[in-house]
Amino acid sequence: MRYFVTVNGKAHEVEVVERLGKLFVRCDGKDMDVDYQEVDSLGQVALLAEGRSWGLSIEGDEHQVTAGIAGHLYAVEIEDERERAAHAAERESQKGGGTVKSVMPGVVVKLLVKEGDSVEKGQPLLILEAMKMQNEIAAPSNGTVKSLHVKEKEAVASGAKLVTLSAQ
Amino acid sequence: MFRRILIANRGEIALRVIRTCREMGIEPVAIYSDVDRRALHVRMAHSAVALGGSTPRESYLDMDKVIAAAKESGAEAIHPGYGFLSERSAFARKVTEAGLAWIGPPPEAIEAMGDKITSRRNMTKAGVPVVPGLVDPVDDVERALEEAEKIGYPIAIKAAAGGGGKGIRLVRSRAEMATAFRTASGEALASFGDGRLYMERYVDEPRHVEVQVLFDKHGNGVHYGERECSIQRRHQKLIEEAPSVVVDDALRRKMGEIAVRAGAAVGYQNAGTVEFLYSKGEVFFLEMNTRLQVEHPVTEMVYGVDLVREQIRIAAGEKLGYTQEDVLAKKNGWSIEVRINAEDPFNGFVPSIGTIHNLRAPGGPWVRLDAAIYRGMEVSLNYDPMLAKLIVWGPDRNAAIERMKRALAELNVGGVRTSAPVALLVLEEEKFVKGDFDTHFLAHMDLSTPRRGEDVLVAVASAIHRHLLMQRKALHTQAADRTAWSARSRAGQSVYPPHVPATAGGAQ
Repeated sequence: MRYFVTVNGKAHEVEVVERLGKLFVRCDGKDMDVDYQEVDSLGQVALLAEGRSWGLSIEGDEHQVTAGIAGHLYAVEIEDERERAAHAAERESQKGGGTVKSVMPGVVVKLLVKEGDSVEKGQPLLILEAMKMQNEIAAPSNGTVKSLHVKEKEAVASGAKLVTLSAQ
Repeated sequence: MFRRILIANRGEIALRVIRTCREMGIEPVAIYSDVDRRALHVRMAHSAVALGGSTPRESYLDMDKVIAAAKESGAEAIHPGYGFLSERSAFARKVTEAGLAWIGPPPEAIEAMGDKITSRRNMTKAGVPVVPGLVDPVDDVERALEEAEKIGYPIAIKAAAGGGGKGIRLVRSRAEMATAFRTASGEALASFGDGRLYMERYVDEPRHVEVQVLFDKHGNGVHYGERECSIQRRHQKLIEEAPSVVVDDALRRKMGEIAVRAGAAVGYQNAGTVEFLYSKGEVFFLEMNTRLQVEHPVTEMVYGVDLVREQIRIAAGEKLGYTQEDVLAKKNGWSIEVRINAEDPFNGFVPSIGTIHNLRAPGGPWVRLDAAIYRGMEVSLNYDPMLAKLIVWGPDRNAAIERMKRALAELNVGGVRTSAPVALLVLEEEKFVKGDFDTHFLAHMDLSTPRRGEDVLVAVASAIHRHLLMQRKALHTQAADRTAWSARSRAGQSVYPPHVPATAGGAQ
């Protein structure tokens, strides 16, 4: 089975073969001898790989994972071939658009755009206050403001929709 | 000495004070809000009083509730920690009026150092150097040139009516002044209708260096050298160390002497910190923090002193019992502290909230973790995002840096993002190691592209194994943990139709 794994934005190709209940992993054309053991169900992992030993922590869902290795963080995304194709199609269909969601709970202090405005990538859309700090939420891409899901002074939860942009 | 002390705080600082109380044979009393019922400071205390409420305003900031809790618990003194009510002179006053001892400076001293303008005036009177500049704005070029000579170049000029850094102009020499002043004044007049400008010395390559002081109630005062806190972002410190690479013995004595003079000028008692701006050999008074600082442990490590114990002793009326020379003779080695904040440094340092479900604490020689985190703790927006302070000591700066890198590598916090990975990046920067940095260092670091890539394959291998394991678990909830042996034995049993013994049961 082939997987496409992105680590901190860089793509790697991984092949996994299961033989007699054991996994054989080939990453970027290199065979790896890996013994993966979960220490607890909370995220601690004991890994033996390539003659070395690692005690790392890992969290996330099936596809989006954060691994903490020796104090550094690695953001890992995993797609198999079918998912990769589906995601590519999805990205193509909403080129330049999409919905901006809140990454934290907070209060909308100020809206800086209105519906119908065209925005450039990086342009601040609104100011969200959380933990007494004001954070500018920027447009992820060029586009037009299709709809605003929040009002000023409104409290939003983490993951709440803020602004939907459509492609220009 | 006190028999029982109430700690008017929460989190790691409450725990920090509780620990010293225990070591002194004093019974520590905790207070808690509804959301903190299970917090570590409650569990570690001798007794705990509920304040009710969940926001700070309803709990830790409610002066009357806190004092009532102290009375109810039979405490004789209140330690405020840092933050919350620690720098409220009104609270200090209420505490003493209630017949309790206040483990902190007198309210008059808090007020004298309270706002920047008052403290600046007090300090100038006491002969403490402040950043040269004018208290009142100017609108006349001739006067500006005259004043500029007294202030000294480079000078920052800014509109009296402007705010938030708008219209600040840097003037490097006398030759530039007249033109710069006219233009800036004209712009200010055009945009704010007020052409007057403030003038202040521009502090190049500023470093934040602060001095720890202690005063007893008998007129004795000492300093405990400096801490360097220049690795910060939006005035939020991330890494602190003691001593500072830019402070030698002579400068330490000079700054210490100024700091003690500053405290004495306002009749200071107990522990305090005098903050300085250091720039190319010059130091200027910034402000005085009239409480224990977050970063006090680095001083404790280098001077072998328990500052909280000293605070309690002073509040109980004891004399310091040692001289300045005794203190300086104890200075030994180097200490670094890293603040572990719940924030996502790779995403603009936005606050990160969640439940800490995974925790591996660092340990080993000369590593100290001042924290109140535990597995299952909920990190909410109600309180300060600081989760923990990691402190190390080493015989010299390089040893301390290496030890901190080692300790950070051991630390895992899962469930929230923390500032720890960025601290590690700073410690790996050549300029930091050389001691060549100022307060802009962290803000100018490029955090968008991860620099380290050595362990990428390890990340890939673990992520892919976890992915497959999760998929397997989703298919057969219990089968994922199956070993080869149990898998085989299960396979052996799965015969269809199931084999039923001919003589089932023994009744017949």
